[in-house]
Amino acid sequence: MNKRLTLLILMVAVMLPAMAQVQFGINRYSVRMNAGYNHNTTYGSHAGVDFGAFMPINEHFEMQADLRFTTANNHALGVQLRPKFAVPAGEFFLEGRLLFNLYERDGYNDLTQAIAVGYRMEYVSFQVGMSTRLIMESPYDWHSNSNIIVEPFNICYRLEVFVRPQTSPWNISLCASNMTDYQIERVWQPVFMANGRYNINDHWQVNLGALCKPTGMFHLNAKYYAAEVRAGFVYQF
Amino acid sequence: MRKTIIASLSALMLCACNPDTWNLDVVGMFSGSSAGIDQRIDDSFRYNAERGFPVINASSEEYKVYVCTDTHVDRSRTNWELFINAYHADADCPLAIHLGDLINAQNHWDYMRRPLDSIPVNPLKKDTLLVVAGNHDLYFNQWQEYAQRWKTSTYYAIVKTPAGKRDLYIFIDTGEGFLGKRQTEWLEQTLTWANTQAFRHICVCTHTNLFKRDSSQGHTSNMPLEETYALLHMLKAHHVEMFWCGHDHSREISNLGSLTSIIVDALFDREPHPAYMVATCGDQPIQYRFVELTPLVD
Repeated sequence: MNKRLTLLILMVAVMLPAMAQVQFGINRYSVRMNAGYNHNTTYGSHAGVDFGAFMPINEHFEMQADLRFTTANNHALGVQLRPKFAVPAGEFFLEGRLLFNLYERDGYNDLTQAIAVGYRMEYVSFQVGMSTRLIMESPYDWHSNSNIIVEPFNICYRLEVFVRPQTSPWNISLCASNMTDYQIERVWQPVFMANGRYNINDHWQVNLGALCKPTGMFHLNAKYYAAEVRAGFVYQF
Repeated sequence: MRKTIIASLSALMLCACNPDTWNLDVVGMFSGSSAGIDQRIDDSFRYNAERGFPVINASSEEYKVYVCTDTHVDRSRTNWELFINAYHADADCPLAIHLGDLINAQNHWDYMRRPLDSIPVNPLKKDTLLVVAGNHDLYFNQWQEYAQRWKTSTYYAIVKTPAGKRDLYIFIDTGEGFLGKRQTEWLEQTLTWANTQAFRHICVCTHTNLFKRDSSQGHTSNMPLEETYALLHMLKAHHVEMFWCGHDHSREISNLGSLTSIIVDALFDREPHPAYMVATCGDQPIQYRFVELTPLVD
């Protein structure tokens, strides 16, 4: 038991220094790039690079576009649309997401649509919603109707806690969710993330993040499945 | 806020308890203490190396395989006994398969074992029951007891017909929702070998599910997406005909090209729709039907 508790504490301790990436309430266009090292028991070690653009169209609507490539030949392209409304002590928002994952190494791809409602304050952000996934063989056989699987209903969730207010020049967050920018997992598969950011000056920001994905959590026998560390920068216009 | 925190912690603890003994294992949700896949693979492969893989003789070219899952045997085992009676009595059935979650919690193995020893087999035939571990057979250190009784959870069996035709049944351990590196390699090697052997049918049997096509699975752990696609690719690339699993307690049949994935209904006594599957294996693609049992609960 002591060994397991130590492992748990170590895991959290390793993730804590990671510097945050997420910052909301900042209405400036920005672009970002991250590079990362990933490992999971299915693919083994692999590397990834991702690019993103954040577009606050006006005070009630923002967009985000994400693109990721990995050496495991598993790529992703996503768009997020986020209407938002200021409410007392925070912001209420809706989030619509369209995410295309190309699992090129396995000959499959999936298209996931998600819609979620959320509420975010200085220190806490919470989201809950549902998603639908189409799983298709790649290349798709247009002459057959038996090479597509529909997963029509899946609950998605995200809880992120920040240690500093959003306007702070640096921040750290801890997050539990089955959604990342590049994957929307099924309800039973939470992902634990630690993110951090530091604003070097008015335009440049650096990021560091870590992710841990265990399996078997709800079987009371959680085991390591995947981990990721990534670092990058954001340029705010 | 205080009430919310107390309610959340209570829900977490209830999620992490053994319903029979009220053992709590909240830490197990984050770092499981039960045997991991590497230890289970070691135990399974050691036994496989010592004893080899089962070869079962069918009495005709077309035979039946009885498939059940999620019996969750505790002190109540009526449906489990009905299943044993059914496959023991069927002269065309040389093989029965249990897809995991044999017992519900600790200290229930004897309740599960007793009807296997006491229910008589049709004297005109021999049959074999093969099993694979489910999540209920693992947590709270139940793998130790599973391994004592069933020895292996990653293996294959061959059914031979009188004319020498052979069908392959591969059993893989996905009790935690993933195969692990060594089991994945073993499965790849086994399927590659199988494709050189002209098997009539290749079936893969395990506990957890590939897809989530409805809300019946709830929050129970299954495979991560990366594992789903990698396994699907392997099954399709090696011409696996059937993928049989349990876990969900709710029947689901999915066709993806030439692969048919079937989630078999649970046989748990407290299940509102208990059923098992009977597959007929002959020269044609495998046919299957479901046998519904009378519910023991309202």
